[in-house]
Amino acid sequence: MALSATRGANGSNASGSSTVAQRLQKELMDIMMNPTAGITAFPDDENMMCWTATILGPDSTPYESLIFKLSMEFGATYPYEPPTVVFKTPIYHPNVDMSGRICLDILKDKWSAGLSVLSVLLSLQSLLGEPNNASPLNGQAAEFWDTDPAAFKRHVLARHKAPEELDA
Amino acid sequence: MDHATLVFASVFPVPSLSHTTPTPIATPELGYTAPGSSFGSPFVTNVSGAQAHRAVKRNIAWSTATRFLSLPRPAASGTGVFEGVRLPKTAEVEQALHYLLVGEGRSDDGQEETLLDWYTNEARLHFAITVRPILEEYWRREVGLQRAWAVLDDTQRLLEQVQDLYTQPLADHVLPFLHNANDSASAIRPNRHTRSEGEAVLSRYQRDVHAVFAHSLPQQRFSKTLSYALYDAGCKLFRIYARQDGTQPKLPPDNARELRKHMIDLLQGIERVGLGGDKAQKAFAHAMNKLMDSFITSHYVKVDWYSKKSIVPHLRMWVRDGFCPLVELVMECLRCDPSSVQPTELHQWQEMALSRLGRARVDSLFDFVINWDKSLGAILDIKEYLKVSGAKQYLTSGFSQQISRRLLHPGATTTYILNVYISIIRAFHELEPKGVLLERVARPIRRYLKEREDTARIIISSLLTDINDETESRFSLQSELSYEIASEMAKPIASVNNDADEELNWNDMNWQPLPTDASPEYKKSKVEDVIWFLLTLWDREDFINELKNILGDHLLRSQDPEYEREIRLLELIKVRLGDDKLQACEVMLRDVLDSKRINATIRAAGSLQTPDKRLPSTPENAPRRPKRGTANATPNLGVSTPVSKTPQAPTLNAQILSSFFWPLLRDDEFLVPPEIQTLQREYESRFERIKGMRKLRWMNALGGGTIALDFDDRTEEYTDITPWQVSVIHAFQPQSVEDWASKKGKKGGGVARNIKQLEEMLEMDEQLVRQAIAFWIGKSVLRETHPDTYTIIERASSAENAKDEEAAAAAQELAEVQAQQQAGAVKSQSDLLNEKKDIYMTFIMQMLTNQGNLPVQRIAMMMRIMVLGGFPFGAEEVKGLLQEMEGEGKVISFGGDVWGIQK
Repeated sequence: MALSATRGANGSNASGSSTVAQRLQKELMDIMMNPTAGITAFPDDENMMCWTATILGPDSTPYESLIFKLSMEFGATYPYEPPTVVFKTPIYHPNVDMSGRICLDILKDKWSAGLSVLSVLLSLQSLLGEPNNASPLNGQAAEFWDTDPAAFKRHVLARHKAPEELDA
Repeated sequence: MDHATLVFASVFPVPSLSHTTPTPIATPELGYTAPGSSFGSPFVTNVSGAQAHRAVKRNIAWSTATRFLSLPRPAASGTGVFEGVRLPKTAEVEQALHYLLVGEGRSDDGQEETLLDWYTNEARLHFAITVRPILEEYWRREVGLQRAWAVLDDTQRLLEQVQDLYTQPLADHVLPFLHNANDSASAIRPNRHTRSEGEAVLSRYQRDVHAVFAHSLPQQRFSKTLSYALYDAGCKLFRIYARQDGTQPKLPPDNARELRKHMIDLLQGIERVGLGGDKAQKAFAHAMNKLMDSFITSHYVKVDWYSKKSIVPHLRMWVRDGFCPLVELVMECLRCDPSSVQPTELHQWQEMALSRLGRARVDSLFDFVINWDKSLGAILDIKEYLKVSGAKQYLTSGFSQQISRRLLHPGATTTYILNVYISIIRAFHELEPKGVLLERVARPIRRYLKEREDTARIIISSLLTDINDETESRFSLQSELSYEIASEMAKPIASVNNDADEELNWNDMNWQPLPTDASPEYKKSKVEDVIWFLLTLWDREDFINELKNILGDHLLRSQDPEYEREIRLLELIKVRLGDDKLQACEVMLRDVLDSKRINATIRAAGSLQTPDKRLPSTPENAPRRPKRGTANATPNLGVSTPVSKTPQAPTLNAQILSSFFWPLLRDDEFLVPPEIQTLQREYESRFERIKGMRKLRWMNALGGGTIALDFDDRTEEYTDITPWQVSVIHAFQPQSVEDWASKKGKKGGGVARNIKQLEEMLEMDEQLVRQAIAFWIGKSVLRETHPDTYTIIERASSAENAKDEEAAAAAQELAEVQAQQQAGAVKSQSDLLNEKKDIYMTFIMQMLTNQGNLPVQRIAMMMRIMVLGGFPFGAEEVKGLLQEMEGEGKVISFGGDVWGIQK
């Protein structure tokens, strides 16, 4: 991969969104070279600025074997600004609101240019198993998580939709 | 009426035998008394009496005249149709005729039947009874072509005879009265009306008779036959031998003059019996139409292959000096009006002939193109034809059809298509220098060529081929090289520096406007040469990528120390495509040129040939000495070229390639002989000293070497063999003291190695090992002693010779086949695909997971955009990948090329 690395480096001298695209292309390539179980991502179209990602709910969590789709939007300032990440699949989670917005520190103030699409998706996957109940967006979910796992699981399943239903 | 009755009647007139007798003479009609007048008195002289008297008199005269004029009936036997016995013309008859025609008996008011009407009727009746059956016999069946003339002649003769028969009495007995009457009247009233009295009567009569004639013949059949006869005459007069029906016996050419006379006679006869006129003219028009067609396809206007001239002037001349006089002649015979050909008509006919010729030529344009430039004559013909309206469209559509049927099919090799394309370019340049037509017809070819995978490779390798030192066989149809391209390349570079817009060059006296069918944005390409057309087949990027691959391969193999052709090619392409994109190629070229210099510097500075590099040699077998270089590259890659001439010390020449700019090169890892490794290390260190921070990485699979092998009884030198072959044979050299010892013990048996050992020793792929072994067996250097175990053949004259030779022959073939597969220095597309298959499959999986089901085209497009480093494949390869993944149960096809994730 020496060759592609060199190219990426050269590209960083360029300006504007082509830099972003190049960075994203490299990240995409990294994901392809080292596929991670349960996580996939791919750009929506030629300009690479919008991606769709799919994560699989982690085992031994209420989200086990559920599939969640997310959309990721990258601004022209990426990677200096975090991407906008939203759940497309309806999800019942303490840190995700009803329209899919996510409360996660690394997508806000803890963002760093060293993070990548893959690391964001990994964080989100682990967030599913370990919600941050200190700052819930969905108070009811946070409460059930702590008090009534069975009810929580019921809500999760009721809210979840398979990708096919989502498309329809 | 039988003959006897006729004889009797001729002596004793039997009025009752003639149907023309209205009343018996014996009982003269006395007339009737008008109402109110007294009956029967001969003294009553009133008007009605006078009328009655006239009626009687007329009746008698009528009876006499008609009996006289009545046409002879054929005998019952049917013979002697026309030899009737005419009654003698007596004074009585004379009087009767006079009375009826010009005397009182004449009736102008149309209330009574005139004698002429009666006569016409009589003729009609006679015709129906006697002549018609004969004519029907002639025309009952389709007239065979050979019989056409005979039937026409017979018909014409018969009708003429009949006509004479009918007209004779009229002319002899009736007309004189009319003329006399005229003459007497003309003294008083010399006007048109009276003058034409007799003629008017005659012409009316003739018109009637001709109508009868015409109706008695099957019209269509008659005009067809006439048309054929005229066509036949035309063909013979111009000596056109159309043989399309095949039934025509080849007649010796008739004497033209006789034929001409025959035709004129026939036509005049036909005209005389009233069969001329519109119908005959139409038939004639048909005939001439066909005659022109035949002429166009005849040998007179065949393509001029020898002097390569257009035959259009010849054609025009024929129309003017051959066709027109014939038409005039016939028109004269048919008494057309006007009987001469107008200049505009002549022009029209010439145009017509030209457009037919053009169509005929266009129909075989493909053949002309293939045979360019021998077919220049035909192309010039078409060029003339293009001036005719509608010609361009006909040509484009016709030629496109020919191309798609005869060229753009899987059976045609790309080389062939390219050659034809070049011919098309050349031929159409002649046809229409502005290039609008070319652009139009070439579009499908260019599209098709683009789809072929090997097009770019063939073009570029052909460009790099020297036509002068290649043998003819390399340019055969199946070959990967196009002679046409190579020869184009050999031409001097067209001057392309006339930057001035041609359209604005006011001094250009040969300026012509663009053809009317050029689209508004049509821009004539400035460079007119064939190579330009070929290089613009693709997008520049695609083309340059392909160029990089081929150029890389070529540079590594090139024997030419100056790289003249390569430099020239690059210049050529730069001129056409602009030089901004060709940086990589320039770097490649500079690499190989620089390498030479660096080699020299390093060799001069260093001790590469110091004695300590000499191979160990032993008294007994002084083994093969590989002297060969491997090479190196700047950051990453290396290639070796052989150089040394000194037999004792191996020498090393390197090609230093800038990996970033070169295409992916084959990079099989294996160990080169230790001597070479030493050289490489030394070279490396010197290089680093010269080039500062740069690092060399050796690519052992590239390059070549020259070695000499010393056997017990012979020494042989091998040039230009691959590094792995060198390494393998070197491995057969005793490596250690034990080996030497064992060798001595075995008495010339040589060292035995098996495949496994070699793989381990050299860290080489089995495939390469086997290939090298096959090569050496082919050279009678190795011998297979046990399966997969080989030893050196130290003595060529050993007892096992015959067997060895056999094995050698077999192995040589094998080696050649393998070598071909291995040959390319640059990685092939399919190698690349296999290598990166996993990544590509992951790509496809993730794409389908996140984007839903997609068609193959879309997948391929996304891959091309998304994959870093490029995705040089098309929908076909993507489909292959998808099918493989389908086999693994990962994806599923939804039909119509749409694929999705297998849930």
